Formats: sequence, C-alpha cells, structure tokens
Amino acid sequence: MKKSVITILALLCSYFNSDAQGKTTTAALQNAVTKLDRAKNAGEYEGLEKEFLGIAEQEKKNWLPYYYAAFCNAKIGFLKQDDGEGIEPFSNRGEDQAKRAKTLLDTLGQKKELSEVYTVLSMVYRTKVFINPMTYGRKYGKLSQEYRVKAQALNPQNPRAIYVKAWEMYKTPKLWGGNKELGRQLAEQSLGLLKDPETGVHPHWGKAESQELLNKNN
Amino acid sequence: MKAGFIKYLFFVLPFLVSSVVFGQYRISGIVKSEKGNAIPFASVSTDQKGAGTQTDSIGRFTLQVLKGNLTLMVSFVGYRLFKKELQLDSSVALEIVLKPDTRSLNEVVISAGSFEASDKAKGASLTAMDAFTVAGNNGDLALALRSLPGAQQIGEMDGLFVRGGTGEESRQFIDGTLLKNPNYPKLPGIQQYARVNPILFKGILFSTGGYSALYGGAMSSALILESNDLPEKSSAYFSVFPPNLSGGIQQLSADKKSSLGVTLRYTKASLYNAVVKQRPDYFSGPEYLEGDANFRIQTGKQGMLKFYTNWNRSDVGMRNPDIDSTALKLADHVKGKSSYNNLSYRGHFATHWQVEAGAAYSYHQDEVSTGLENAAGSPVELSQEAMRLKNRQRLIKSDFSQFRVVLTDQLPKNQALRFGAEHFYTQDRGRLNDSAFLLRDHLSALFAEGDIYLAPGLATKIGTRIEYSSLLRKAVVAPRLSIAYRLNNGGQFNLAYGRFYQEPINEILYQNSELKFSSAAHYILNYTKKANNRFFRIEVYRKDYRDLVKTTPVTDNGGTGYAQGLELFFRDKKTIKNLDYWITYSYLDTKRTELNYPYALRPSFAAPHTATIALKQNFQEINTYLNISYAFAAGRPYYDIRYHAADQSYRIFDQGRTKVYSVANLQVAHLFSIFSSWRQKPVSGFSVGVNNILGTRQVFGYNYSLDGSNKVPITLPAARYFYAGIFMSFGIDRTGDFIDKNL
Repeated sequence: MKKSVITILALLCSYFNSDAQGKTTTAALQNAVTKLDRAKNAGEYEGLEKEFLGIAEQEKKNWLPYYYAAFCNAKIGFLKQDDGEGIEPFSNRGEDQAKRAKTLLDTLGQKKELSEVYTVLSMVYRTKVFINPMTYGRKYGKLSQEYRVKAQALNPQNPRAIYVKAWEMYKTPKLWGGNKELGRQLAEQSLGLLKDPETGVHPHWGKAESQELLNKNN
Repeated sequence: MKAGFIKYLFFVLPFLVSSVVFGQYRISGIVKSEKGNAIPFASVSTDQKGAGTQTDSIGRFTLQVLKGNLTLMVSFVGYRLFKKELQLDSSVALEIVLKPDTRSLNEVVISAGSFEASDKAKGASLTAMDAFTVAGNNGDLALALRSLPGAQQIGEMDGLFVRGGTGEESRQFIDGTLLKNPNYPKLPGIQQYARVNPILFKGILFSTGGYSALYGGAMSSALILESNDLPEKSSAYFSVFPPNLSGGIQQLSADKKSSLGVTLRYTKASLYNAVVKQRPDYFSGPEYLEGDANFRIQTGKQGMLKFYTNWNRSDVGMRNPDIDSTALKLADHVKGKSSYNNLSYRGHFATHWQVEAGAAYSYHQDEVSTGLENAAGSPVELSQEAMRLKNRQRLIKSDFSQFRVVLTDQLPKNQALRFGAEHFYTQDRGRLNDSAFLLRDHLSALFAEGDIYLAPGLATKIGTRIEYSSLLRKAVVAPRLSIAYRLNNGGQFNLAYGRFYQEPINEILYQNSELKFSSAAHYILNYTKKANNRFFRIEVYRKDYRDLVKTTPVTDNGGTGYAQGLELFFRDKKTIKNLDYWITYSYLDTKRTELNYPYALRPSFAAPHTATIALKQNFQEINTYLNISYAFAAGRPYYDIRYHAADQSYRIFDQGRTKVYSVANLQVAHLFSIFSSWRQKPVSGFSVGVNNILGTRQVFGYNYSLDGSNKVPITLPAARYFYAGIFMSFGIDRTGDFIDKNL
C-alpha cells in the first residue's frame, strides 16, 4: 500500500513537474518571440538565436524554436549582406535549423506551417547568395526562388512569402524580370494581410520588413 | 500526520532517490565564452546514462551524477566541444570556458605564392570572371593577370614576366597538361593575341612562386587552369567587335550527361589599321583565324571525360624603317599554324581515391621571313656580314605530346596523398636559311605530395618531383614545401620553399644541347587576411637562380642571379555598394648574369616598382558596368650590349632607364534586351573600350643600330587601342546569373 502510494506520488510529481516545465518553456518561447518582435541589429538576433536554440532543447517536438532560430540567422545574413564570407556561418546554421524545423512538421497536414518554414529557407538561401554572388548566386539564387514559390503554393495568403517575393521583385533589375512597382504592390499586399498585429508565438513578423521596402526612395 | 508525511515525501523524494539512496554527487558550474560572457542554453551532458541538462539564462547549471569516473561534455553551436574527465568523490563546482569553433568555417588553405580564382570563391576571394574581366585584357589571361602583384607591365612582348623571371619562365597548364605556346608567334616589339579563350576556365591558380610538385618546368610561375565541366543548358552566341567576329554553340544532351561545343573566331585588323594609324606598316594581315571544339561526358556519379581541341592560323607582315640605314626598310612576315588537343579524365574509385589522367598533343608551325627592302619594296642583299644576316628565312615545325596520371588518396581532415607521373615528348624540326636542325627530347617526371594536417589551424604540403631529360641526359630532384598557419582572427601565415628546374629554351638548345637544367630556389613568406568582403595580402620572397645559360664567352650554365621583393594586395568589395576594386604594389630587386651580359645586371624587363589598380563599378539600375584599370611602373633599364672586337668580349656601350610607364584602360558595357517577344529571349549587350585612354607615350626600351649610333625607342604600335561591339547570347537564361551577380 505504502509502496503504491509512493509510486503514484512519484508519478504525479513527475507529471506536474513536466507540465510546469512545459509551461515555463512556452513562456520562454513567448518571451523570446516578444523580444524578436523588437529586435533590430545583428547582435540582438545572435542572442535570440541562442535563446531559441535553448528552447528547442527543451521542446524537442516543437518546430517553432528551430524555425525562429533559422529566421534569426536569415535576418543576420540580410543585415550583413555586404560582409561576404562573414555571412557563411549564419547561412549554414540557418539552413540546418530550417531543415530541422521541417522534420518536426507533418508535411501533409501542416501546410501553413510548412509554408512558413519554406519562406525562411528561401531567405536563408538568399543570404548564401550574398557570400559571393558570382560563385554562389547561380545555385542558391535559384534555390531561394524555388522555396519562395513552394511557400506561396502551400499558402498563397502567407504575407511573409509575399514579402519575400516583393523583395525579389524590388531588387531584381528590370532587364532580368524585376519590377519595382510590382515589388511595392506586393509589399502593400503583405502589409494588408498583416493588419491586425498578432502577439502569439506563431509566425507574425513581416510588417517592418515590408515597411522598409516601401520606405526606399528608389 | 499522513498529509505531513506525504508533504514530506513530496519534497524529499527527489533528494532521497538521488544522493542518499544511490550515492550521488552534484556538479555545478558556469559556462562562459573566452570573452567572459555567460553562455545560456548550452547543453551539458555526461557519459552516464540520463545525466544531462543545459545552462540557464545566466550560464549556470547543476547536475546530479553517480560517483566515480565520468566524462563531462559541454557543447553549444559555434563553439568547440568541451570535454573533461572527472573523478568524483565529492560535489564540484566548475568554471567552463568554451572556445570558438573556427575550424569548420575557416579551413586552412595553403596559399603562399599563389592567387586562386575559383568557382568556389567566397567574399573578396577572386573568381575566374574577376580575374579575366580586368579592363585592357585583350582576351589574354596573361594580360589580365598583370593586374595582380608579382607580374611586370610588359607592353612589347606577350607572356607573364614574374618576379625577375623572363616570359619563358612562366608556363600555362590546362587540366594538368602544358599549353606550350599560349600566344600567336612572336613579332619584334608587338604583343600578340592569346590563342585560347579565357572564358573556358572555371578555375585559375596563378602561382608567382612556390607551386606544387605536381607541376614543373617553370622557374618563375605556373598558371594552372581548370576547364569548365558540363554547361547548365544549351546555348549559342555571337559577337561583332570589329575587327573581330566570333560565334559559338554549346549543346547539352537531353539526359544532361554530355555536351558538345564549337566556336569560331576571326580577326582581320587591316580595316581598323587603316582608320587608326599604326606605327608599323602592315603589308599582310594582321589576320587570325581560330576554331575550337570540345566535348564533355559525365561518367558515373563524379567522373568526367573532357576533350578540347583548338586549331588556329595567323598571318602578320609588317615593315619598319631599318635601324641601320635610312634608305632601307626591314620587313617581318610571320605565319603561324597550330593545333592543341587535350583529352582528360577525372574519376573516383574505392570511395576515397581520385584519378586524374590527361593526354595532350600539339603541333606548331612558325614560318618567319625577315628581309631588307628598298624604298620600292624590292629585296636588298648587302655584302656586309651583319646586314646580310638580316635576311633570314626560318621555319620551325614542332610536335609536342604529354601523358599524365595523378592519383589522390583523400584522407580525413582535408588531408590527401597525391602521386603520379608524366612524360613530355618534344620534337622540333627547323630550317634556318639553308641549314636544318632537329631537337628531340623526352622529359619524364615522377612526383609525390602530401597535404598533412598537423594541428588545429596548421597544415603543410610537402612534395618532391624528379625529372629526367633525355636530351640533357640529366636527372634532377625538386623538393617543395609549404606550411600554412591560421590565426583565430581569420588571418593566415604561409611559408613556402621549393626548387624549380627548367630546361634551357629551345632557341639555345638548337645550337647546343651540352647543357644542364637551370634552376631557381624560392623562399616565400606571406600573410593574408580575408574578412567581410575585403582581402589583404602581403608577401616577401627571395629567389636564387642557378645554372642560367650564358652564351659568352662560351655557351654554358655559368649564369646566376637573384630576385627579392615585397608585394601588397588589397581588395575591397564592401566599402562602396556595387564597387569592387583592388590595389597592388610590387617591389622587385633583381640581378642576373646570363646570355651575353658582361656582369650581373638588372634585366631590361624588370621595373623596381609596380603599382596597379583594377576597378569595377556596377550601375545596377541602368544595367551598365564600368571597368577601369591603371598600371604604373618605374622606368626599366635598357642596355646596348655589343661585342667589342679589341677586348674580344661583350661590353655595355650605353645604358639608361626608360621613362615611367603609366597606362589607364577603360571599358563600359551595357546590357539590354531586344526581341523580347521571342521564346528564347536573347541577352544582348554592347561594350566599348579604350586601352591607354590618356594616350600616354610608352617606352619599353630601346633598339640600337649595329654601331650604337642610332637608338630607337620601342613603343606601342598606336597610342590608343579602341574597341566597340555588340554581342548576343541565346538559350541560356542568364537572368539568374545577373540577378545573383547584382543583388
């Protein structure tokens, strides 16, 4: 009798414990995402990447921490786009993390989530192009575009995938199929879809990015 | 009571289970970076089952473990794994410092003495395209590479003159095999075009010294070229750049496993020369016709079989005033024919072995006739011996073949063991006026080389090459060694040593083959740092020449020499958006006794100071590219060395320094689209350019008359060289390329 009480107690105790832990990590994720919404420079993104990785260790089945870690690396790559080989470690880590996030998804059922992961993967491949456009561009520019197309196919209303297309259109010279006007329209469209600011842990970034494109003079 | 008991159990159970019941201890600690910052969320584990945790937000952790021996491991992305053996008989508190992991990202690559331009370049490292699009390159890789440190600015001859070495001391290799005559046959004072189109190559290694044991036969420099593999798509192009016409197709098979390509180029400069006045009076050509073809077949997963053939002919005839008589002219007429064929195979077997095999055959025929003419253009025969020698007919037919095999055992940690053999066969049959000559040589070489990883960031390449020449009947052993040490900040020190043997040039061997190999020993120290789209390199070197050929008083290997210097290179792609530039400076101190030099002299091709700037600006919005290059070189020495009958020896009758050399080249290219309704939308562009845009008068040296009384400067055939043309390419959707190049 006493033995079984102890066993039950121990089980209960472990249940509560793990639940408590689950709660704290979700709080940690929320906390990190809130910080991410305010992050601006590469140093902040680097710190946040580590934080997301830590959360990923706790929540081994959750795709979001890896997704956000990859997103941090993509952001760092965009912020450092004139730094050449300096971007490479971030690109490589981002690629790994985005791929890990994908393995945690049910790729048939979670189409919207997969669309988010592909959007970030597209950005990560774009950062690889920055390493040396002449040598890396051919391969990774194509991959970046492919993943953006896949992301849009999975969820045509994904404002972040639309933003990535807006960026592509805006930055590509006209001769090669770029179209600044279309880029602007897409950025507006993306902003329209992001009208009500979300605050949860699900992907909701994109406002600042589209805004930045629209604020460019040329 | 019961509730209290439960409460008690609830709190105590974990501790009971752990330390008391099983005899556990606690490891606690803090994890920091080298800078002292706490590392949160680092994972902490041990080899004991189940014992693991991670650091909290301030880098702290605690872990319950069983007593006894265990290994503690701490890891975090971007840091090297921390491992420590612990013998626990009490609880411990540790402070753990993680070191940054630089190995995987900053592999140490041996680079003393060389510039690598590859399709894997990152940041500000060179790509093949960067190297050969320097303004003023004239489609000649050797000319483009003069914008890098170590090469002399030579305007009156072709070839690469590197670090006190002659043009003959530099050799070009395509997929391992020697390209014997990269340029069209020489004409006095006029630089000739390259025979091979540089666009064929995806990788260029320009070594200005200390190169690998896999290559030999060049005392100063090796230009190691790697040809393209399969194209991505079928394509066709044509370009019209008067006086040059060019077109080609490249066909990729449906299964994308093989490709075929053909290009044709034709140049006839007579119309251009009628518009832009040239110093020499061209009576024939200049005319060049060149065709090449290739096939590439992918075999298995990584294997590649490539064939390249190049066939060309040239015809240039020019008249210049004769230096010895005001009434006469000297006519040079040079006709060349050549064919170069290269079959190469690259494959893998038994998981970590790689084999590279190559066979090359080339044929050259140079027909030179030189003669004095009177004002009416009729040949003139003079009785004076020295003047009579000016009338010459020379024909040389040269066959050259090479076989080569290299085996590589690829070992872990980027290590490798390479060995192989090659054989060169040369046969020159010639006729000078009425006398015939024959030169036949079998040169065999064996070589082995190891890339050895000594410690983190420290690697070495050590090799030896043994060569035997049947003509010289001598064998030589050439050791090579390079060491590279990478610092944590991304900087790298490189050290290289090597001996480089070369047979005397054929012009000398035609007359006398009782000679030895000449040799040069290289000692090189360099420091490079690449970071954030910038690349800095400084290199110092010393080169000692031995057994150079002297032609007086008798022909032997009595010559010696040295070269030493310092070179700087800085490239910056970051500071100004879309502007890519590099700056170089080379200091060269060199002297040698060779040929008919009466004593050790600074050779006439060696300027002590050389500086270059290459600049490329991309105006993305208007699809326009601006390309500027500038080169400056201090004056080169010149000498009038002649035989002094009374002394019965050669003497310097006159000497001096030329004026400084300063050349700016400009090129503008603009891309546009026409016929955009076509299914295969062509990519079109035009390009205009001027070499020596400022029209600065260049003096490369002086020619002297036989008695030394007349001294004529050697200058450019025309002050400026202009070109303008259009090109169109079909098939390949190069959109991606351009986006990627420009974003």
